[in-house]
Amino acid sequence: MAKPDKETYDVIIIGAGMSGLVCGCYLAKAGLRVLIAEQHHKPGGYCTSFRRKGFTFDAAAHSFGGYREGGILHKVFSDFNLHDRIKITRYDPSDIIMSPDQTIRFWSDIGKTVDSLQGAFPHEGENIQNFFHFLTHRQPTEFAKLGKMTLQALLRAYFTDEKLQAILALPILGNGDLPPSRISAFVAAKIYTEFLLDGGYYPEGGMQALPDAIAQRFKEYGGTLMLSTLVKKIKITDSVVRGVVLGNSEFIPAKCIISNGDAHQTFFNLLGTKHVGREFLDMMDKMIPSQGIFVLYLGINPFSELPEPGVNCWFLPHYNIENMYALSRSEKNIKLPEYYMVRVSPDKKTILAFVNTPFRNKRFWTQKKNAFIETFIKSIERNTIPDLSQHIAYKEAATPATLYRYTLNYRGAAYGWAGLISQFANRDLIKPSFIEGLYLTGHWTTYGQGIAGVAYVGHSVANMVLRAKAH
Amino acid sequence: MRENIEKDIIAIISEVSGYEPEEIKPDTNFFQDLEVDSIKAIEITVAIEKKFKISVRDEDVPKLATVKQAMDLVSKLIEQKKT
Repeated sequence: MAKPDKETYDVIIIGAGMSGLVCGCYLAKAGLRVLIAEQHHKPGGYCTSFRRKGFTFDAAAHSFGGYREGGILHKVFSDFNLHDRIKITRYDPSDIIMSPDQTIRFWSDIGKTVDSLQGAFPHEGENIQNFFHFLTHRQPTEFAKLGKMTLQALLRAYFTDEKLQAILALPILGNGDLPPSRISAFVAAKIYTEFLLDGGYYPEGGMQALPDAIAQRFKEYGGTLMLSTLVKKIKITDSVVRGVVLGNSEFIPAKCIISNGDAHQTFFNLLGTKHVGREFLDMMDKMIPSQGIFVLYLGINPFSELPEPGVNCWFLPHYNIENMYALSRSEKNIKLPEYYMVRVSPDKKTILAFVNTPFRNKRFWTQKKNAFIETFIKSIERNTIPDLSQHIAYKEAATPATLYRYTLNYRGAAYGWAGLISQFANRDLIKPSFIEGLYLTGHWTTYGQGIAGVAYVGHSVANMVLRAKAH
Repeated sequence: MRENIEKDIIAIISEVSGYEPEEIKPDTNFFQDLEVDSIKAIEITVAIEKKFKISVRDEDVPKLATVKQAMDLVSKLIEQKKT
């Protein structure tokens, strides 16, 4: 039952992930009446923090990128006047790759990063220089070409050394969940430019500070944020959106709906076969989501052997990246992959480590979680942090089933759709042509992954909505 | 035929860039004049491929910088498909 006195919103956004928040904030700032409905009790999606036993843990996202002058997060902060509200620290180096033979550091000073790689691979000296020059002086026309290439083709165009190629592919595997033979070179280039060459930023107090600050500004711009509010249906008549139906069956009218939720649920559940053609649903059924991640959270007693805080340390056990990926997906060989990322939190009180892994099912993870926690700790202890297990005060983990439970991302996918060449810039997944007034935003649109990526999408979608309204 | 191609291409560019069709001339440069970035450039390529049922090779992507260039490439690829 609709409340008779309820105003009609110009826009309802389903989900307060980073993209929904950025999008909503731009729309509210432009004077639109915006409602954001989020099923969880806090905003942020994968960019949230939680407290256990006195420790603060970041749930999934543990740093962000795109904050240099000209970066999308820098723009968002400037447009919403947030620079004075949150203190952002850049940890330097942002990332370290530990290979069997070398340790490579990604510094804020890109010249130093080039030096670090050239020191390890002197015979690739000029190629390394050229590769980083290409990434940092990106020409839109040249970059657009990458949408047609795999990362493998891109790396081979610059380098001959297989070990160097594996080192450069590891953070792409971790942050993009695909090996060089399959990931779009464009998606990979975005990870290089937005995660590694302009990454490592961290808000004081934890990642939750980021969505909290944008949500706060959204409300100051007149927006309404409803937490613990599940959207059950998007109401459509004559192929035009009319509003949403909440979990309590309340109907809220709106002229425009933006789903920051996962595309699969948006089309199959919120809309349904009655409003979405079979052909389109079949196309979606054939699309491949990214895998989930297994995230290890450790509360630790201070000790001297810890790696530098705020730095993403990537462990590369050997140079066969393709094999590593195949193992991470194997249904027969059910264990965590050998590579991982481990990071000591800036407050030095916790450790977050993660690795990509398939969704499987809830029962599997209930049974296996504790054993996986122990194996993961042992592996980190053996390869990266000696004596780690003696200093653990608290341990917990999130599985793909946990990610699904808190964020409702389809199959606990960490990065939305897999970053395949064939799954980039599908316009029907950002502005479906067959329903008027419906948009999607976030990593399920096929237009961007990661915090910088989804912020870009949120900003683009806000512009699309404002343009449509002007007509 | 060629006029239809032009109309379709301008519609795609307008939709992706947000500029009105009237503002888009044969020599308008997408990158310099319409604020098209690399993501939008890929979107334009994907939309053109879908609309004309053709496949653009990676080395041809940078050639899609003006309506005229896009028309030339599309016409060429449609011709090639016929033969």
